[in-house]
Amino acid sequence: MALRELKVCLLGDTGVGKSSIVWRFVEDSFDPNINPTIGASFMTKTVQYQNELHKFLIWDTAGQERFRALAPMYYRGSAAAIIVYDITKEETFSTLKNWVKELRQHGPPNIVVAIAGNKCDLNDVREVLEKDAKDYADSIHAIFVETSAKNAININELFIEISRRIPSTDTNPPSSSKGFKLRRQPSVTKRSCC
Amino acid sequence: MSAREQSQSGAFSSASRSLFEAEEEETAAPGRCLSLLPWDRFSAWLHCVCVVGFDLELGQAVEVIYPQHSKLTDKEKTSICYLSFPDSNSGCLGDTQFCFRFRQSSSRRLSLHCMLDQLDRDLPVSLKKDSAYYYGYVYFRQVRDKTLKRGYFQKSLVLISKLPYIHLFHTVLRHIAPEYFVKNEPFLEAVCSDVDHWPPPVPGKTLNLPIMGIIMKVRIPTCHDKPGTTHIVQFTHEVDTQISIALPTVHEVDLFRCFCPVFFHIQMLWELVLLGEPVVVMAPSPSESSDTVLALVSCISPLKYCSDFRPYFTIHDSEFKEYTTRTQAPPSVILGVTNPFFAKTLQHWPHIVRIGEIKLPGEVPKQVKVKKLKNLKTLDSKPGVYTSYKPYLNRDEEIIKQLQKGVQQKRPAEAQSVILRRYFLELTQSFIIPLERYVASLMPLQKSISPWKSPPQLRQFSQEDFMKTLEKAGPQLTSGLKGDWIGLYRHFLKSPNFNGWFRTRRKEMTQKLEALHLEALCNEDLLFWSQKHTEVETVDLVLKLKNKLFQADREHLPMKPDTMEKLQMHIDTIILALPDDLQDILLKTGTT
Repeated sequence: MALRELKVCLLGDTGVGKSSIVWRFVEDSFDPNINPTIGASFMTKTVQYQNELHKFLIWDTAGQERFRALAPMYYRGSAAAIIVYDITKEETFSTLKNWVKELRQHGPPNIVVAIAGNKCDLNDVREVLEKDAKDYADSIHAIFVETSAKNAININELFIEISRRIPSTDTNPPSSSKGFKLRRQPSVTKRSCC
Repeated sequence: MSAREQSQSGAFSSASRSLFEAEEEETAAPGRCLSLLPWDRFSAWLHCVCVVGFDLELGQAVEVIYPQHSKLTDKEKTSICYLSFPDSNSGCLGDTQFCFRFRQSSSRRLSLHCMLDQLDRDLPVSLKKDSAYYYGYVYFRQVRDKTLKRGYFQKSLVLISKLPYIHLFHTVLRHIAPEYFVKNEPFLEAVCSDVDHWPPPVPGKTLNLPIMGIIMKVRIPTCHDKPGTTHIVQFTHEVDTQISIALPTVHEVDLFRCFCPVFFHIQMLWELVLLGEPVVVMAPSPSESSDTVLALVSCISPLKYCSDFRPYFTIHDSEFKEYTTRTQAPPSVILGVTNPFFAKTLQHWPHIVRIGEIKLPGEVPKQVKVKKLKNLKTLDSKPGVYTSYKPYLNRDEEIIKQLQKGVQQKRPAEAQSVILRRYFLELTQSFIIPLERYVASLMPLQKSISPWKSPPQLRQFSQEDFMKTLEKAGPQLTSGLKGDWIGLYRHFLKSPNFNGWFRTRRKEMTQKLEALHLEALCNEDLLFWSQKHTEVETVDLVLKLKNKLFQADREHLPMKPDTMEKLQMHIDTIILALPDDLQDILLKTGTT
């Protein structure tokens, strides 16, 4: 079975749960007292998608402002970017929009963008409406899910959807355009949460 | 369905044998490793990262040391300062990479010291770390900048490490340094955090080293690798330098490119290095000097070059006086220098390699003659080897022709380097095999090992006996080269390289004897013996055995797998047969 290495980066404001999402996906565990990431941390996980093995090379970037300028090293060459916000913090959603702009201007042309509204287990203190986020994601043709790293909601689904969006090598030889354009019509599978 | 990849978080924590299983892939662990302290993983690769800048009042200064707790003495800092910048007025506009080596001025212990020693044991002898020295890997940038008082931006990013992995660290620097100069401290913090998540440098394993958005795939060689074979790390079918790079080597330099300027003299240079002769390389810039010195040192691989060598040496070096004094004969060292001052200071040195700018090998210099030393006046002298040394061996014209043909046919430099490396390897092996064979014959016969006596001693090395073996089993068996091999051996036996090599062999063989002795002891009925002897003698035996076990464990003697367990069982059985009060005492007695 063919093995493909796919570079994936996580972007988003500090404290939204980027590392927790990666920990849930790779280790299937959750630690409420996780330390802030320095620079970026790196993990891998290989999953089967149809007749391919996808080895995700995951660069989980630091959300802190002082590391902001390092981001290009991590999204450079990425097949997908997962931009995370916290549904209980409105301002993290604004940060997310800035990341989308930066990726448009400087990111790889065919990068698959996924938007993850994390901490959906905290529905009662929600500040960002699911519909608003979904509408925004649709407008930029991004994958959209609300997730909970704590309760393991939609984490695997998020990566499966990324696998699905990345063109298979059989149909698209590597020389042709790789990945979907930001403008391409999405079809999102989503499990409703909470 | 997901094919879960093995998570490695516990791999290092157990510090067990499983860590050393060869040839399996290891990924960086997420870093929740209880037995490892923060920065332990980092320390296995690097001592620290320094930034050296230029201060208008102070001159060169270490601006940043990361991690902040890293210890460097003032003397070491001074060395790093001077060695991280091009010496004198060598232009070096733009980006320059080179490396240096300096003496450690105080001994330090790391919390994971024993682990590193264990890793060190499986390394080829030439890659084992030298506790007295550090390497510095430099990325120096000098560009015009009108906004600065001095008119220039001058800064070096320097990796300080015990590991001689020049290709690895130069690749790392090429990836990180240009970005560092733009992004500064947070960038450095991120780099160090990445390195602190690297798996330990275990020989024989393919390691994935994540660094600032890319993965470097490397393999650390082992002493069990067949010399001359390269274990090129497998590429995945998609090669994307923005995702990962596979390094064909961690430590090798581009041999052909380095030797190109002195191409006709490679075999003579091999002799000079083998014999530990004082050699100085005068080059136009630190990158050429360091590359050439490292190429020289590596050309006698798999033999270890045992004297000091300095890929880049300056007049500010703490050993400057020691090495340049005229009151003694020049020391057995190889120095790389760029400062024209050395042309005078070292003009009494017997062998001077003068190289110009190393270009990509489009042409090979035409001149053949070795130059007379008196013709070397300044650094402006023509490239070449200045010496009055007469090589012992006749020149191998085949290799010269083969490489020349390669140049004409535009054979890639990597391929030329492979040819050259193989040539040096065969030459060194032809030279060393007779010595290996003779030294192996110094081992006492198996039947002379008695469990009830001390292990037998190795027989003495006798130069004359060895010389006698050459007639029938000399280098002529594996090499067609003619010349004064005997003279070369006589000279070599007096050199530091022979001393170092023989010391290693003697230690290995003594350990083997110890191991065989222990195995012999194991196969005796020790309980039966103790019953026939007095209590005092039995206690003495127990203490001796305990001591031997301790030593065997500490030195990792090459024994059959269950020897230690068997011996421990013997000890326990003997103790159990003794009176209760003695049992208590003996069980508690540790060995120190």
